[in-house]
Amino acid sequence: MIAENFEYAAPSTLEEALELLADPEAKALAGGMSLIPLMKLRLAAPGRLVDLRRVQELKTIRRNGGALHIGALASHSEIESSPAVRSRCPLLAETASHIGDLQVRNMGTIGGSIAHNDPAADYPAALLALEAQVKIAGQGTERVVGLEELLVDAMVTALEPGELITEVIVPVDGEATGTSYQKMRQPASGFAIVGVAARVTKSNGKIGRARIGVTGLGPTGFRARKAEELLEGSSGSEEEIRRAAAAAAEGVEANSDLHASAEYRRHLAAVYTARAVRAALARAS
Amino acid sequence: MRLSGSATVPAAPQRVFELLLDPAVLSRCLPGCQGLERIGEDEYRMRMKAMIGAISGAFDGTVRLTDRQFPESFRMAVEGAGRAGFVKGEGLLKLTEKDGGTEVAYDGELQAGGMIASVGQRLLDTTARMMIRRFFTRLSEEAGRRQRRLNGREQNP
Repeated sequence: MIAENFEYAAPSTLEEALELLADPEAKALAGGMSLIPLMKLRLAAPGRLVDLRRVQELKTIRRNGGALHIGALASHSEIESSPAVRSRCPLLAETASHIGDLQVRNMGTIGGSIAHNDPAADYPAALLALEAQVKIAGQGTERVVGLEELLVDAMVTALEPGELITEVIVPVDGEATGTSYQKMRQPASGFAIVGVAARVTKSNGKIGRARIGVTGLGPTGFRARKAEELLEGSSGSEEEIRRAAAAAAEGVEANSDLHASAEYRRHLAAVYTARAVRAALARAS
Repeated sequence: MRLSGSATVPAAPQRVFELLLDPAVLSRCLPGCQGLERIGEDEYRMRMKAMIGAISGAFDGTVRLTDRQFPESFRMAVEGAGRAGFVKGEGLLKLTEKDGGTEVAYDGELQAGGMIASVGQRLLDTTARMMIRRFFTRLSEEAGRRQRRLNGREQNP
């Protein structure tokens, strides 16, 4: 189907883009991997598209002290292949490599994916495990929020009208830290039926810190805090990993659809948490 | 798809029952409701604009209430259609007193067809639950507001 009529603007600076986005009819267009199909199906009909692809300042990936600053318009394939991300924050590169297919990874952007907040998107799992922060700009405003605070509900974020994600800030991996993203992939769409990212740091032969992000299971990505607590201070034995993994879905109202029932998703959450933790531990040395 | 669950509203069952049957309250609490008009005994016409992230769609439909058992239970049937497809649901709502408030348990079936069902199947369950959560959050706010108003009246006769 062909989308309804809309106006089109392609600003080249962030300031111009924010000015155009102050119009309530306007919608930001990043890679278009979610918005364009919705428009073609006429499930979305914004009056004006503000295409961000000419805004160069949103595309840079740079290191600043202990953190990587990733421009919101960096594509999944840019993140997947960036030497800085691969060496300093491999979890994010690994996760990007699991998204959709090659065409989607070439077009889709990290900022667009976060703003859309699909409950089965891959990034939230990794970004929650990384305790990432997101920089958000509005007309004359700028704020930084944690990802957990940003992801409110299925397809709903804490972004205010007219606001734009400009940067994603992730920490550079420290010593003795290992990470892994494991997912059950829906074969047609490539979305995660359940996806789990684990980040563990060893200290004195035990797990000193554990962070686990889960996607696909609930209305939005979340941190499996109970599983994290059970892992921290443990030696990371197979039995301890299994017990922690079994707690990953605790307290979550699981999604259910044609592809997987809520019960099956809960089961997958335990299986994939265990796999992610095992793989992360093996890499933490 | 089966939809069941429960929510707690901080008011007595009698009051919650009244709130749930008040078209003005319902139109404020139903997410995206743009108007609820009485067309018969316990029957309303509704216009709704659903906004879920980038997705938006207008629906026209009816809400029908049956088997009213004040203040314990009633059945609600909702039907709506728009360009994006149709939704049709029917269920039982049960009210029980719990810790000074009311637990509203719902159990029903929801069907969807057309575009929203064929492309949105993956998101139907999640978004239906989200709309129910929002509805009860707003209903609790309504109950709180009404309670404060009543308190105010008692203090200033």
